[in-house]
Amino acid sequence: MNRLLTVVEEAADYSFAVEYNGPPLPYEIPRAVPIDVNRIPLAAVAPPSAVLSDLPVVHPLPSPSTFPFKKRPPLPAPTLILPVPAASPTSVIENHDDMDGPDADVSGALGSSGFPDISTELSEVVESSGAVGFSDDLGYDATSSNEMVPNRLSTDSALSSELSFRSSASGGEDEAVATQAKRALLVTFRESGQSGDSMSPAIGLPLRTRSEELEMPIKRGACYRCLKGSRFTEKESCLACDAKYCSGCVLRVMGSMPEGRKCVSCIGFPILESNRERLGKSSRVLKRLLSSREVQLVMKAEKDCETNQLRPEDVCVNGKKLTLEEMALLKSCSCPPKLKPGLYWYDKVSGYWGKEGHKPDRIITPHLNVGGTLMPNASNGNTGILINGREITKIELQMLKWAGVHCAGSPHFWLNADGTYLEEGQKNIKGQIWGKPIMKLLCPVLSLPFPSKAANPSGEEVNKLFDRAGSECFDVKALQKLLLVGHHGSGTSTIFKQAKFLYRSVPFTEDERQDIKLMIQTSIYNYLLILLEGREWFEEESLNEQRENQQLDSSGDVISDKQKKATEFSISPQLKAFSDCLLKVVASGKLEDIFPNTPLVEELWNDSAIQATYMRLNELQLLPSIASYFLKRVVDISRFEYVPSDIDILYADGVTSSDALAYTEFHFPPLSCAGSSIDDDDQQETLFRYQLIRVHSKGLGENCKWLDMFDEVQIVVFCVAMTDYDEYHEDSNGVVMNKMMESRRLFECIASHPTFEQKDFLLILSKFDLLEQKIDMSPLTSCEWFDDYSPVVSRHPQSKTSRGVPIGATKAQQAFHYIAVKFKRLFFSMTGRKLYVVQANGLNSDSVNAALRYAREITKWEEDRLVGGTVDSMYSIEPSSFSH
Amino acid sequence: MSVAELKERHIAATATVNSLRERLKQRRQLLLDTDVAAYAKSQGRSAISFSTTDLICCRTLQGHTGKVYSLDWTPERNRIVSASQDGRLIVWNALTSQKTHAIKLQCPWVMTCAFAPNGQSVACGGLDSACSIFNLNSQVDRDGNIPVSRILTGHKGYVYSCQYVPDQETRLITSSGDQTCVLWDVTTGQRISVFGGEFPSGHTADVLSVSINSSNSNMFVSGSCDMTARLWDTRIASRAVGTYHGHQGDVNTVKFFPDGQRFGTGSDDSTCRLYDMRTGHQLQVYSQQHEGDDNDVPIVTSIAFSISGRLLFAGYSSGDCYVWDTLMAEVVLNLGTFQNSHEARISCLGLSSDGSALCTGSWDKNLKIWAFGGHRKVI
Repeated sequence: MNRLLTVVEEAADYSFAVEYNGPPLPYEIPRAVPIDVNRIPLAAVAPPSAVLSDLPVVHPLPSPSTFPFKKRPPLPAPTLILPVPAASPTSVIENHDDMDGPDADVSGALGSSGFPDISTELSEVVESSGAVGFSDDLGYDATSSNEMVPNRLSTDSALSSELSFRSSASGGEDEAVATQAKRALLVTFRESGQSGDSMSPAIGLPLRTRSEELEMPIKRGACYRCLKGSRFTEKESCLACDAKYCSGCVLRVMGSMPEGRKCVSCIGFPILESNRERLGKSSRVLKRLLSSREVQLVMKAEKDCETNQLRPEDVCVNGKKLTLEEMALLKSCSCPPKLKPGLYWYDKVSGYWGKEGHKPDRIITPHLNVGGTLMPNASNGNTGILINGREITKIELQMLKWAGVHCAGSPHFWLNADGTYLEEGQKNIKGQIWGKPIMKLLCPVLSLPFPSKAANPSGEEVNKLFDRAGSECFDVKALQKLLLVGHHGSGTSTIFKQAKFLYRSVPFTEDERQDIKLMIQTSIYNYLLILLEGREWFEEESLNEQRENQQLDSSGDVISDKQKKATEFSISPQLKAFSDCLLKVVASGKLEDIFPNTPLVEELWNDSAIQATYMRLNELQLLPSIASYFLKRVVDISRFEYVPSDIDILYADGVTSSDALAYTEFHFPPLSCAGSSIDDDDQQETLFRYQLIRVHSKGLGENCKWLDMFDEVQIVVFCVAMTDYDEYHEDSNGVVMNKMMESRRLFECIASHPTFEQKDFLLILSKFDLLEQKIDMSPLTSCEWFDDYSPVVSRHPQSKTSRGVPIGATKAQQAFHYIAVKFKRLFFSMTGRKLYVVQANGLNSDSVNAALRYAREITKWEEDRLVGGTVDSMYSIEPSSFSH
Repeated sequence: MSVAELKERHIAATATVNSLRERLKQRRQLLLDTDVAAYAKSQGRSAISFSTTDLICCRTLQGHTGKVYSLDWTPERNRIVSASQDGRLIVWNALTSQKTHAIKLQCPWVMTCAFAPNGQSVACGGLDSACSIFNLNSQVDRDGNIPVSRILTGHKGYVYSCQYVPDQETRLITSSGDQTCVLWDVTTGQRISVFGGEFPSGHTADVLSVSINSSNSNMFVSGSCDMTARLWDTRIASRAVGTYHGHQGDVNTVKFFPDGQRFGTGSDDSTCRLYDMRTGHQLQVYSQQHEGDDNDVPIVTSIAFSISGRLLFAGYSSGDCYVWDTLMAEVVLNLGTFQNSHEARISCLGLSSDGSALCTGSWDKNLKIWAFGGHRKVI
């Protein structure tokens, strides 16, 4: 006794909080363990017959009455005196550990209040062992300080006393105490079992392990990581595994919280259903730890994160698993049900909602198109009375009776959402169930739901809701992405713009229009420049001609050389200066400097030389075919007030002025021709969002460097202008290349890119109308790739029906099929897969619509293929349909 | 003079230039009698030895839902901005691994991001051909997004790289797929100068990367798909100060050596090289023999030097991250072999300004922070 006492008093002399920084001590710091080892009962003493097989658990609250004098006669007095000095280190620690200290105190206080008849000394013991827990942790955290040794000692003493108590309890001397102990035992067991689970990887030293497990019962509700704190400490728990952490550990355990409050190891796992209520609701702990914006971010991530969502297939309504859309609808209606995984029934007409086999639970928004049809036995009723086809329960029958509904002879009712009811097969409304004020009081008595005011929206509102739900919930869902790519001039931008016109209510915003206006104005100046360049060319040419003529009829008289020099392509010096200026400005890209400069442009345009050049437009290779459309209106366009019309936008070259990537999101509206028989499939289709991404080929770079950014696209739509076969393009190195070959090179590059290994490809062959004009003048074989083109020429090439429609395939159509097959074979040889081909004309909205719908079909086939079904379609162009 | 004649002359001139270039290359080869590694060996130096626990992954920054494409550290305060394919910029506190800002971008195809020297704003660029500046202190709008404070438009191709001039908050250099680099005034949104493009000594292909000399911020170097790196002086936009040949693939990344007299490059040809700015010589090639077929060589995506310059960190498309001893040209450590290393291509890496930590970003959507785990004197 005395030895122990002295040691403890010695401990009181030491300073606990301040680390020793002085010179090395000449003497050894006392770390003696004064109790004889043999006298300390160890945990192994526990009888093998004990219920707890492998967990050495000591229950926390020893009974006071039996404790001091039973088993340990050698140490009766120390236990009496022990608490006093033992408490003082606790208080010291408390002072220095402001977060956890008070809680330890509280738990101590609880111990005493819980058992009013306990002598103070015992509760003090509890507290002292609690203090041991802290000192133990401190020793672990703040490096091993020597002051801890006495505490280690007190651990042992507390431990021994408790053990001694247990043996006494099992002795069964005091019935009350025994039951008390048993209850405690039960509780402790669960607690320690749980903690043991979560703690096991953290346990390192066997000694610590033991002390931890020993303390666990006392420290129920402690932080799972640092083991500090009591159940009164503010804690944050993991949504997925429910592990609780104190504020000091939350950030360490949960890291950056990409899915909200989850341990790092739980990321990716679904949350516990019991925690669903907490989703998105921040706690005090979090607010204290993070700035408000961070909390917002985490909460948003928590709410929106896909893994945290209730999975629609877990909820079954009227025997049918929900789809994502239905789920969204249910969640967003004005009176939403509480959704938990399970089976439910839903009465669409009245809005009744309940668990399958049970009476109605609540009344939600009616007329939601959710789940299957209501079964008669949905609520497991046996009254024979049907409401909206569901056999009602006895309790509902009671309600009906109270509501004054005549229920004799098991009638079948139709109950509407507004409470009016009528008998099946009859027209006249028999009454209003909810009409009586008393019903509002009676329903809760029967624990039946009563409709809230908001539960009765008109049908219109429901539709609106439906739309909203559709557009909102799919923000989360990945969209179907279509990548539109093609060589310069292949019509990708036209198709893109056409898609915007087709599917968007506001095709172009004001900013975009401004951008396009700038683009058109820039390009019109470029066209003018090309014209001016052409003019010089023609002037030189005609001068040469003149000179030759002169030499021919060299009559000698050099009459007015000036006059001779002026050909029809000459311009005035002023315009010459303007054109030079224009050249400079366009080269530097600072167009703002010259616009608007309409008078000069007008003068230039009306100049006979320019007009003469314009007449020979088709000789200027550089000028795109679309140029004449704009050049005709050059004066208008160069005006400051010019607003591009929709057609202008469509004709304009490109989508944005900076060759940037452009993208747009849209729905496919249901086909109008489908008329009354819009099938469900099509209805659902309107909910899917599509994103069309258009990439400028120039922006693709040399090696298609960043195609890997598009690994999420569903389908690659590649555009080739069919007219390219006889057009040539000169790159910066002066190498002239056939445009069709360029397209082919780009196609090969993209199709063989590893990112698109498993993607579908749709080839759009555009500019069919121009091909028709061209095919007669220049043969397809002018492209080296197509040199084996030998179409089957009909013997009557000019034969047409009376209405002017050619019989059989025209030359252009033959050419289209040929080109399509060429690309298909190329694609097959590279990837072994099938290339889909469609023809479209960018300026024709119907053909673009058809092509994009075809692309959508392909993505759907792909999904179906994944499911396992096979789909036949009216589309699909087989290579075999062409022979040569 | 007719156009045809001009063309002929042009072709002839190009041929002359090419032949001269070839001669220059040969001459350089002749003059180059040794490289760094050989000389260091002759001096009896040996490579640094690292044990596997010396560099440990101490943080994993999770939060992006798409591939991480770029990252940048603040000069102080240990924050990181990262750009990902999910269309977000995230600003992290590297010490606590907390996100302090998440910025949703207008155009989700972002390729690069940069922290301003004062740590108050971030810049990003991508396929929208523009460079967007966000002020981190600005008020969020109704949806909780930080509004764009300025958009720098003018590039005619994607913006692949951007970096703030270290000592000037308002200056920014971008490199783009339109073969140019541009120095911007951020406050006005105007281009101060354009490097390359119409000028004959500019890059002839997409410019993928820029690095500004920290000791003399007038100089910067750019790497391009034309397999060269070029040195520029911001005061002279008309021509490149020097052109550095040697790589056999696109130069994906350039980084100045800490002393500002040399710079390193990383390329599609799976090598890193060290060039001397003043002599124009290639000092050293850092390449690893790759077994297997030649088609599958990993490309170097990003490099960084340690503060002393003794170590070169290089990220590869294979997911490896080699630590090179720049003196001995030996790989002393491969972060890709560690248990908790990235699972996909390492797309970007950067050293914190004090050199105490390395951050790597990967296509596996995570960023990792590596630091010295052992007790070691400054190398």
